[in-house]
Amino acid sequence: MASTATSASTTNDPLEPIPLIEGAQTDESLNSSLLNHVWRLPGKGWWTLFGLALAGLGLLVVGITVTLWKGIGMWGNNIPVGWAFGIINFVWWIGIGHAGTLISAILLLLQQKWRTSINRFAEAMTLFAVICALLFPLIHTGRPWFAAYWLMPYPSVQGIWPQFKSPLVWDVFAVSTYFTISLLFWFLGLIPDLASLRDSSKKPMQKVIYGLFALGWRGSGRHWAEYKWAYLLLAGLSTPLVLSVHTIVSFDFAVSILPGWHTTVFPPYFVAGAVFSGFAMVVTWMVPARQFLGLKHVVTLKHLENMNKVILATGLMVSYGYAMEHFIAWYSGSQYEFAEFFEVRMRGPMAPVYWLMMFCNVVVPNIFWFKKARTNLLIMWVTALLVNVGMWCERFNIIATSLHRDFLPSKWELYAPTWVDWSIYLGTIGLFSTLFLLFLKFVPAVAVTEVKELRHELAHKAHGHAEEAHG
Amino acid sequence: MSHEGGFEPRRFVIGQFAGPEAMLDATRKMRERGHKKLDTHTPYPVHGIEEALGLGRAKIPTIVLCGAITGACLAYALIYFMNVVDFPINVANRPIHSMPANIPIMFELSVLLGGTSSFFGLMALMKLPQPYHPVFEAESFWRASIDGFFLSIEVPKGQSPEAVAAELKSLSDVSIEIVEESER
Repeated sequence: MASTATSASTTNDPLEPIPLIEGAQTDESLNSSLLNHVWRLPGKGWWTLFGLALAGLGLLVVGITVTLWKGIGMWGNNIPVGWAFGIINFVWWIGIGHAGTLISAILLLLQQKWRTSINRFAEAMTLFAVICALLFPLIHTGRPWFAAYWLMPYPSVQGIWPQFKSPLVWDVFAVSTYFTISLLFWFLGLIPDLASLRDSSKKPMQKVIYGLFALGWRGSGRHWAEYKWAYLLLAGLSTPLVLSVHTIVSFDFAVSILPGWHTTVFPPYFVAGAVFSGFAMVVTWMVPARQFLGLKHVVTLKHLENMNKVILATGLMVSYGYAMEHFIAWYSGSQYEFAEFFEVRMRGPMAPVYWLMMFCNVVVPNIFWFKKARTNLLIMWVTALLVNVGMWCERFNIIATSLHRDFLPSKWELYAPTWVDWSIYLGTIGLFSTLFLLFLKFVPAVAVTEVKELRHELAHKAHGHAEEAHG
Repeated sequence: MSHEGGFEPRRFVIGQFAGPEAMLDATRKMRERGHKKLDTHTPYPVHGIEEALGLGRAKIPTIVLCGAITGACLAYALIYFMNVVDFPINVANRPIHSMPANIPIMFELSVLLGGTSSFFGLMALMKLPQPYHPVFEAESFWRASIDGFFLSIEVPKGQSPEAVAAELKSLSDVSIEIVEESER
């Protein structure tokens, strides 16, 4: 196989595109460098993180056990704050998941080549984030085994069916569809890579296990012809799906009449916020992972910079959403809306969360106007972390802050989370990290097949350009 | 070789090429010479493979369309039956049947059935999972998922694999293996 240098330019021409794959790579070298981290034994760093993640998972088990054993009264929820940590964390996690679908599906349809190096990573993140998200609606019912009949339509002797005019029921369908489709899409993309793991494994046991998961893939041309269509169509279906999921999540709030919830801006603003926080989460994990897994030649600074640009753009959309919320609160002439935004949120007992949200989501992302910040690993990592904090504060603001001061002052009540709330929340971070670290250990973090295809495509193009220049 | 129980092993001629272009070229020529059961094995989809193998239109889009339409209809029917026929809930005398409220779940179910039919339809078309295939018998076949480009030809009964191998060899500079299905 002839090796082809894809980093064609040696000059520093600003108009020359920065290479997506660095160095002279062949299919073989890509294969060994991208699969290397699967074969290598994990280092101290991985074990440390894995230990921490397992500790978090332990917290989750404790939190859920206490909730199921003693009941939902162990949470800080009260009336009027009937929805608190459970729904805040649900919305936060599901939003984080959306970046994965955006990267893998929407960027595929838009033929953005830089997606190839990060899509597997982001799709895995989607799956694990949705698993964490799904936990919350389940346990916030207190006794999930009694909740099934008004969530999922199943025939029973009770003769009761769900009320399909409720966005909460739409939500059940949206999120479970989202999980199923994300899983299928991720696994479909993984099959050829599992075959290369099977074929480059050294130990018989590994060969058997990866061989089972590869389903007997043999790279057949007849298979590829249908496979390409299946993959593209799953991407095409995922794209409107991801928009619908967060739109429906926002309907849970927007169709009610509570000041702070009852706004038409919610669907687009929730989707933008989801992408914003999701990309921040990808950057948070990608910056250390590319270092430790030896993926710097395929996840280049250009990839990180592009993600930071998306964070900036969606951050501005979120800022616009905030501006509109406040404007309409004033313009509508509703005293309740006005009080919610200009008194309760800005100066109420939970004002620090509001101002932290404003700082993290409106001020901080603007640092990405500067190329220096977009390409500095430390700055982007801290910024991404702050965006995650800010987006969590946003959901706290929307849910807990709006609920604790509604129409009648006699109903007002303060809200404070309990240790069980915190354990479950931190516990899902532990669950997410555990799953993610296992993923990084056992599955190629970069879609090897797609990177090889991209290399071939780029080499072909470079070859064509060279011929044009000579001719 | 004697085979018990009337088992007749399928025989394949497998050629490994230096790159996708040579493989495509040889595939095209072998097909023009009348070979029917051709297949290529590559680590990633190679542009132009459908044309070289003479494949028709992909079937997946039709399957997905059927799945998606089924999903939408199923959702409407389910909601109508549950909320109008079997268990109507009167909320402040609002209409029991209201089309707009059905749209979100119609959409979700059409995506769900479209997506699952895309995946499982593909599995059915590819006849996967299928852990064993005779082409895996070739010594160098492990490269097919890494950096090798292969053309496999199933030799019809009564023809000699050596002749097919010689024919392929005459077309292109290629390393050839002849394999036989093993009896399990």
